[in-house]
Amino acid sequence: MPDIFINPPPSPKEKHRASGHSHNPLTAYCYLPDKVNFETRESEEKVVLLLRQHPITLVPKALMAVLMILAPSILSVFPILSFLPANFQLIVVLGWYLITTALILENFLTWFYNVYLVTDERIVDIDFYNLIYKEVSDANIDKIQDVTYKMGGVVRTVFNYGDILIQTASEVPNFEFLAVPRPDKVATVLQDLRIEEEQEKLEGRLR
Amino acid sequence: MIPILGISIWAVAKGFILVAFFLYIIFSFVVVRQIQLMTETLEVGFETQLKILSYLHLAFAILVFLAALIVL
Repeated sequence: MPDIFINPPPSPKEKHRASGHSHNPLTAYCYLPDKVNFETRESEEKVVLLLRQHPITLVPKALMAVLMILAPSILSVFPILSFLPANFQLIVVLGWYLITTALILENFLTWFYNVYLVTDERIVDIDFYNLIYKEVSDANIDKIQDVTYKMGGVVRTVFNYGDILIQTASEVPNFEFLAVPRPDKVATVLQDLRIEEEQEKLEGRLR
Repeated sequence: MIPILGISIWAVAKGFILVAFFLYIIFSFVVVRQIQLMTETLEVGFETQLKILSYLHLAFAILVFLAALIVL
């Protein structure tokens, strides 16, 4: 059956006015991101949502990092390292800063590369557990069976973030988007994409 | 410090510190490699800055190793 009407892609102006659209590569919620690309993306596949954990989840780690940075100056009041020769004291402090750097870098990279993507064809979950282990899983939109989102607690309500549980009929039965901003909007976007996919199936369109 | 079996405790400590810093250089090299691989997996427009950060981290690790080698 020929296509009678296909939604035109949003113009750049419309796209930039869309709520949640951002050009910041460090954003935790981006609707229709501009520069996002991933390894298994097909040429015509369009990324609709880019999600990460809400930045507020980084606050305890950031506080820890600040404490670790300040620790040598604070502890210099107490003669903890006085039994060591001066050159060893210097190297111990440098070593401490190396450990601090490693901790900050690992925490940042884990947050930055733990990305959930929603495209017009599928959902992609990129899990970066630590520096030597990553996992990438995806499921087609039409395989989604159920979408549940939950928000609970004071901090999550104030900063508007929560978990989204997606049950699928694919090889990976459950997708969990943890601590993502605006879970209600994400669920709505997923619902819209599912309806669109159903429509495409009924009309026999490929995309 | 009194040497035990003719070996100074500080020489042993220096050896341990150098091994630890050398392992840290390997770790920072793994970070560089992992960022390169993750850049291929996902592009969001922050790749150049991340790569620079990882190279600076590697340089810092090498400098600390050299500092330990010279100072101790």
